[in-house]
Amino acid sequence: MKKRNSNLTAAMFLLPYGILFTVFVLIPVFYGFFVSLHKWHILSTAPQFVGLTNYRDILSDDLFRVAFLRTAYFVVMTAPLGNMLSLLLAVGLMQDFKGTPVYKVAFYMPVVMTVSVVAVMWRWLYSTEFGMLNYYLGCFAHFGHAVVPGLVSAQSAHIPWLSNPGTAMPAIALMSIWWGAGGNMLIYLAGLKAVPRELLEAAEVDGAGPLQRFWAVTWPMLRPTTLFCMVMSVISASQVFGQTYMLTGGGPYYSTLTVVLYMYQQGFGLYQLGYASAVAYVLFVAVFMFTLLQFKLLAVKR
Amino acid sequence: MAFVVCGCGRNGESTRAAGPVDVVFWNGFTGPDGTTMERIVRSFNHDHPNIRVKMQIIPWATYYDKLTLGLAYGGAPDVFILHVNRFPEYAYYNSLNCTDDLVAKGGLDANDFVQVAWKAGLWHGKRYAVPLDCHPIGLYYNVDLFKKAGIVDQNGNALPPVNLAEFLQDAKKLTKDTNGDGRPDQWGFAFTWLRTNSYTFLGQFGTGLLDKDFRRADINSSQAKKAMGLMADLVTKYKVCPSPEGQDAWMGFQTGKVAMAMEGVYMLASLEDQKGLNFAGAVCPMFGKKHAVWAGSHLMVMPRSITSEKRKAAWEFITYLSDHSIEWAKGGQVPVRKSILDSAEFKKLPVQYQFSKELPYVVYEPPVVPYNQIVPFADAAFEAVLMHVKPANDALDECARRVDKVMNRQ
Repeated sequence: MKKRNSNLTAAMFLLPYGILFTVFVLIPVFYGFFVSLHKWHILSTAPQFVGLTNYRDILSDDLFRVAFLRTAYFVVMTAPLGNMLSLLLAVGLMQDFKGTPVYKVAFYMPVVMTVSVVAVMWRWLYSTEFGMLNYYLGCFAHFGHAVVPGLVSAQSAHIPWLSNPGTAMPAIALMSIWWGAGGNMLIYLAGLKAVPRELLEAAEVDGAGPLQRFWAVTWPMLRPTTLFCMVMSVISASQVFGQTYMLTGGGPYYSTLTVVLYMYQQGFGLYQLGYASAVAYVLFVAVFMFTLLQFKLLAVKR
Repeated sequence: MAFVVCGCGRNGESTRAAGPVDVVFWNGFTGPDGTTMERIVRSFNHDHPNIRVKMQIIPWATYYDKLTLGLAYGGAPDVFILHVNRFPEYAYYNSLNCTDDLVAKGGLDANDFVQVAWKAGLWHGKRYAVPLDCHPIGLYYNVDLFKKAGIVDQNGNALPPVNLAEFLQDAKKLTKDTNGDGRPDQWGFAFTWLRTNSYTFLGQFGTGLLDKDFRRADINSSQAKKAMGLMADLVTKYKVCPSPEGQDAWMGFQTGKVAMAMEGVYMLASLEDQKGLNFAGAVCPMFGKKHAVWAGSHLMVMPRSITSEKRKAAWEFITYLSDHSIEWAKGGQVPVRKSILDSAEFKKLPVQYQFSKELPYVVYEPPVVPYNQIVPFADAAFEAVLMHVKPANDALDECARRVDKVMNRQ
């Protein structure tokens, strides 16, 4: 009797989430697959069933390929570097200097900002004519002149960060790393706190220096945390959208076109709902496979 | 399916006899043009106690998404503005209201309209839209800079260029390095919106994004390459125009750092607000072998499903807007009613009147259903050519291939 009662209680607690999850996630996910099998303009009253045509078109769509490769480029830049930065910040915060909580809050602050706020801020930082970044580069005029001749004058540098195809994506990656580092930092911090003290002390007694202690004790013990953070970073970086949508709109010349932005452009603006849904499904499969691969490579062997 | 049902949900509410009929009017006039439109709507409401127009301004950036969702799933307005280049898509998907019967009943005289604009509201021979205006780009020039450079006629008035030779000559005189740091800080010319400027150059070389039948891409034809090559030369060879990279060219014109720019008549208000700027408008110079200039139009349309009561009221409003488009013109537009174009009141508007001289040879963007899908390829190509991201030939070939792929799928 009691058992049944607690089962019922559990079910009741799960129900609200279950309903919301079903209505707003599960059903749209399956409906999206249904849509992806159609040639479906948003205004058409009778979408035409086309089977897997959309998927075949995607495979021969060179812009999709561009978007896929640019997304991969973004992931490669942000996920490893972002995690390194998060870990570095976490290790720093473990030292318990005076004022650590203040730093913790400061590093975490960007995470709670919305992408639009972040983008507006960084657009100003990156502005060619009036940007802070170019201003400070200009302050190092002599140094700057040696690196990029002709671009830097005495008052300010003229590097078009966001309107040059070579620098646009790295600039967006840098912004994204700054934006997201605080989130993983907290998780690494928790991971670091879970490393048994006695192991570190034993290593110290055996004469290991701080670096050795980190590599031989902390790093292996952190492995589950690292796996979690890496997997989550890769997944979220693969879905990068707001940053490129707000800052560059995919340009200049497709250099910051990402898969989700491409999907958005197809769905809204071009109103090709079927094609957009198919793009979403291709991305889903790709990210899913890559996540499995990461688990295989990074998981703790038992 | 849900959205089939939703579209006609508002049909039932025609029983209310007393009180004015509400007409919801959507547009994207967020600038000074919105203030102008508000004034016209107010006077319409004042003159028509039985109709109440409720205007909603939605920024263009999100306008079409909201409108399209409204048309597909319910909640569409009773009158709304479409840009002429978006019209075929909505007409093709049968989202608009055919107004042949209303035109036939009189109220609007087809012969009083500029024909290119009037025809733009037709789809397969039926009328779905009434043009409110036609807004070409024209040449804005800084009178003070022209006078300072000695580019004047015998009366000492600034003299805008009319052909390529004059344009290059003037632009060179107007490009100056005033602070001696080796980089010009005053430019003869600048590209503002690449799309309108490129369409103008392409049109003057007898081509466009698509060929004459609007079937295949023509953007990589030899004429198109010549036109785009000339634009690129203004930056690299003649050095009279800054690279569009990381520049706000329009702000440059507003602040007197750029002497000439080709922009729409609708940008007029942003210049009139600028203190200390002495500017004037002229027709675009002829860079190629014939006159041509990009133009757009605002079309007034009604959704396919609308109650007959609202339809009547909405049509009343549409004809009123057209009849009173002199007021609209004052805010920085060129009207398409011949009677208004010929009026003394219109000829008193200096820039609008100058730009209206371009009406005989304006070029609209190609009226094809998937235009919205192909124009991003063109925008990217224009950007690539002028910012030297890719060799011009490669960028234009790539654009043509992508455009043809979409066009063939139709």
